[in-house]
Amino acid sequence: MRSYDIVIAGAGSVGVPLSYYCAKKGFKVAVVEKEASWGRGQNRAAIGGIRATHSDPAKIRVCRESIDIVSRMKEEHGLDVEWRSGGYLFVAYDEEREASFRKLLKIQKDSGLDIDWVGPDRVAELVPGINREALRGGTFSPGDGYASTLMTATAFHKLAMDAGVDFFFGEEIGAFTQEGGRIVSLRTRHEEFGAALFVNAAGADAAELAELAGIELPIHPDCHEAGVTEPVERFMEPMVVDIRSDSESGNYYFYQAVTGQIVFCITPKPQVWGKDKDSTSTFLPLCVRRMLELYPRLRNLKVRRIWRGMYPMTPDGFPIVGYPRESDNFLQAVGMCGQGFMLGPGLGRILAECLAAGGSATKPEGSTEYGFLFEELTPYRSFEGMELLK
Amino acid sequence: MRRIDRHPIVAAPVGRREVQFSFDGERLTGYEGEALSSALAAAGVAAFSRHKKAEAPQGIFCANGQCSQCTVIVDGLARKACITPLAAGMDVRSLAGLPALPAADRAFAGAEKRLLSCDVLVVGGGPSGLSAAAELARMGLSVILADDKAELGGKLVLQTHKFFGSEADCYAGTRGIDIARRLEEELRRLPNVTILAHSPVVGVYKDRKAGVYVDYTRYALVDFTALVVASGAREKSVLFPGNDLPGVYGAGAFQTMVNRDLVRPAGRVLIVGSGNVGLIAAYHALQAGIEVVGIVDVLGKVGGYKVHADKIVRMGVPVYLSTTVVAVEGDGRVERATIARVDGSFRPLLDTAQTFEVDTVLVAAGLSPCDEFYRQARAFGFLAVSAGDAEEIAEASSAMFGGRIAALSLAKMLGKKVEIDASWIEKREVLKSRPGDRVPRGPVVATESWTPVFFCEEEIPCNPCTTVCPTKSIKLLPRRGNILDLPYFEGKDCRGCAACVAICPGLAISLIRRIDEAWTEVLLPYEFLADFEPGARLPLLDKDGNFLEDAELLKKTYYKKHKTWVLAFKVSAANAPRAIGIRVQDEASIRPLPEPRFEYLPDDAIVCRCERVTVGEIVRFVKENGVQDVNQLKSLRVGMGACGSKTCSVLLPQVLRRAGLDPAKVEPGTLRPLNMEVPMGDLVNEGGYGESGAAGRHAGGEP
Repeated sequence: MRSYDIVIAGAGSVGVPLSYYCAKKGFKVAVVEKEASWGRGQNRAAIGGIRATHSDPAKIRVCRESIDIVSRMKEEHGLDVEWRSGGYLFVAYDEEREASFRKLLKIQKDSGLDIDWVGPDRVAELVPGINREALRGGTFSPGDGYASTLMTATAFHKLAMDAGVDFFFGEEIGAFTQEGGRIVSLRTRHEEFGAALFVNAAGADAAELAELAGIELPIHPDCHEAGVTEPVERFMEPMVVDIRSDSESGNYYFYQAVTGQIVFCITPKPQVWGKDKDSTSTFLPLCVRRMLELYPRLRNLKVRRIWRGMYPMTPDGFPIVGYPRESDNFLQAVGMCGQGFMLGPGLGRILAECLAAGGSATKPEGSTEYGFLFEELTPYRSFEGMELLK
Repeated sequence: MRRIDRHPIVAAPVGRREVQFSFDGERLTGYEGEALSSALAAAGVAAFSRHKKAEAPQGIFCANGQCSQCTVIVDGLARKACITPLAAGMDVRSLAGLPALPAADRAFAGAEKRLLSCDVLVVGGGPSGLSAAAELARMGLSVILADDKAELGGKLVLQTHKFFGSEADCYAGTRGIDIARRLEEELRRLPNVTILAHSPVVGVYKDRKAGVYVDYTRYALVDFTALVVASGAREKSVLFPGNDLPGVYGAGAFQTMVNRDLVRPAGRVLIVGSGNVGLIAAYHALQAGIEVVGIVDVLGKVGGYKVHADKIVRMGVPVYLSTTVVAVEGDGRVERATIARVDGSFRPLLDTAQTFEVDTVLVAAGLSPCDEFYRQARAFGFLAVSAGDAEEIAEASSAMFGGRIAALSLAKMLGKKVEIDASWIEKREVLKSRPGDRVPRGPVVATESWTPVFFCEEEIPCNPCTTVCPTKSIKLLPRRGNILDLPYFEGKDCRGCAACVAICPGLAISLIRRIDEAWTEVLLPYEFLADFEPGARLPLLDKDGNFLEDAELLKKTYYKKHKTWVLAFKVSAANAPRAIGIRVQDEASIRPLPEPRFEYLPDDAIVCRCERVTVGEIVRFVKENGVQDVNQLKSLRVGMGACGSKTCSVLLPQVLRRAGLDPAKVEPGTLRPLNMEVPMGDLVNEGGYGESGAAGRHAGGEP
């Protein structure tokens, strides 16, 4: 049996940064992953947005950390992750949307976020050529941005390797051994791992993994499709989010990556539950139509590739972070609801800090001030209501 | 102008309209409707654009719509030159770095979805796809055949040489260009067939639909029950420093320009690879009046048919075996290439280097199947078969049978009561067989009556000489009992008609007849422009390319059906039975520079052309990051470019080996649609599916 202080299940958006920060705090860490390499689950399917402009204190706090980490990755570690502080722009084309954005704006500003209402002229400056018919304006948060999910995962993997983390790829977890409400070890086909703490960072497979330990988690992945275009010279800055729905779809969003491509994604209507990662014929005609209605200039831009990934959804749209009653050394960092990439780095650093400060099931935050975060994201909340800016 | 005005085989097209266009402001002339890439090549343009990385010049590479290396700005929009038909007044500009997206900000004109349906979608209209579609339609199934080219026939339309095989089964002795026409006519006569030419399939989706980029302007989804993937093969790239310079391109790209578009893009070429493609490319080059300094192959044996290789050698083209390219260099385009022999581990022996002044290096390093849609379809659990090169790389002759067999097996899966004729399978196997034994032939003595002399001594699937002989006095040696067997002259009943001389695809039959003690008359085939008259003296060679004598031409006769001249020579009695070749390329043009001149930088070879990633960069990244998964190379952008890893994926195993990995243990890259880029406006048929909407959309670039 291999022995570690911490064994993390999942080498994705959450697991890899977490492993790095834990190793930096002096823990002996292993990461066990069923895929052939890092970031091969939903990380590679994510489109790359990172924003702190959420509607709740926990996610706001975590993502501010993420932005701090990712934006300084190059200067701090010399690793380019193609970060750009292009901002997030939520556009409003009707009164109802404007009202709800303005209402949120108050909460967001109270949380200290750099966000404001911008009128149609400013919107058109940020996204030249955007459809101005009925455009009322939107909220713009210039500190938010985007990065390459692939290069971010690769950077954290490199940092983690250099910090002494052991990665075990191609190892699917088959079983846990438990004794008296604690996990003693986990087994894969080839190996057995013992540790003081186990972490569930298994993304879309988190519920199945927890179930192996007899824990029920309300996480249900749904499928989203995404695409990328050819690269062109920079012509727009922000991540544009249109949260309107129509008969075939929910919200959609797109941005221009540092390398020049437009990356885009849409929420299908009705939602498609399950884990199918194969592209369908419906995505492009649907998503492209909505994008062109909003932004006709994209008409000449060539679509290069499409793919499909999962949002590991919780009933209320917020992540689950904390210790279950069934196993008090099995930390859950799951149910990211499609935001694992933006939450991962910050969450990794915060959790490592809490663990180093004596955090455990009885007091997850240890001697830190992150109690509010565990309170908000506890597995034992009511799961009523819904994230406003999902 | 680099145009081929007279070609020994291909007739110059009539009625083409000359139009003016501009390239970076310079006024040029071309033919309306021809591929823009060919119009540029004809104007002497080699570097079409400059890559965003290091401003490296880029030019033609595949000329087949696959690789995107030939992208230019056409009237404000980035377009692949090889699939853009030239139009009058086109404003063409080289692309430097990333293109700008035009501010085409008029309101969106509305989307239209188009759904077509059929029993069977056939992807690809080459020899196997055309044959499969015809077979399926004959059984009453509704068929949609989609092909990316305007002219059906796949690579047949580039094949100006005569085919091996048999006349009865696969048009042996007929040229590929003529076979394509016949197959297409046959298919067009059948009901239930919809042909979407100039319309690549760009994706196969989980919900059993395919996306077709109709006429490169509109997008249709095709709902199908079963799929035939007959999308052919693409040329493999090769790793050598300088493999990205304009002037290095595929042999298929070369044939496209020379044989289809009658453009002479090169003056002197070096060919890499001695398979049939490389050998034929050399022949096509000579026919187009282009010098060939040689063919190199890293292996110690010619890869293609011996009869092909012999034919090339007899034209005056050397074949360098156990030899590799160590450098291709030049300022903005190919100016010279250096080759060297290799040791037993294929490492170059630099002290054997020879440098040639060439303007072009043709890569003919083999083909890899375009089987992505087949693999995708099978993974989705669809009914699907592959045929032709998409199934297995082989000759077009076997692809025609392969297409029919694939169609029948698919029909069976669809519940049709069909029996596959066992003889078809046997014929397909024979037609795709590798060369068999070599059987040396004894000497032939000229007599007063005509005698054919055979110079083919390697068993290949070919027999048209036996079927064309009016007296049936050419037979196959009864060794194997199929058309791999070698021909021999049986009777004494040769009338000297020279039908066998004219039809032989290997140009490997002569007829001899004694004139007197000293002289013998020899009839030889000739597939070049015969710009000489009786009385002229021409250099005759033996089978291995050795010079025999300058012989007097007695008579020249054109065999129209085979587009081949039969030349009658007066040859000395001793040399006559050995004469089979006529040198067309003089020795001075194939000499290397007196001293080799090159820099050896093997790590600089480009693996991913789209993103310009070198061997050295990949090896370093793999080692630094513990890479065990090809997908991780995306951090270097390998495979993320416009071509969708079509070129680099074939090269990666060698690079991974260099990085110390076993490629078989490395996780392969993931396949995703689209197979080819499509503009957003076209994907939703902005303004309607009809032509007008498309035309409106493509106006582009307005304020």
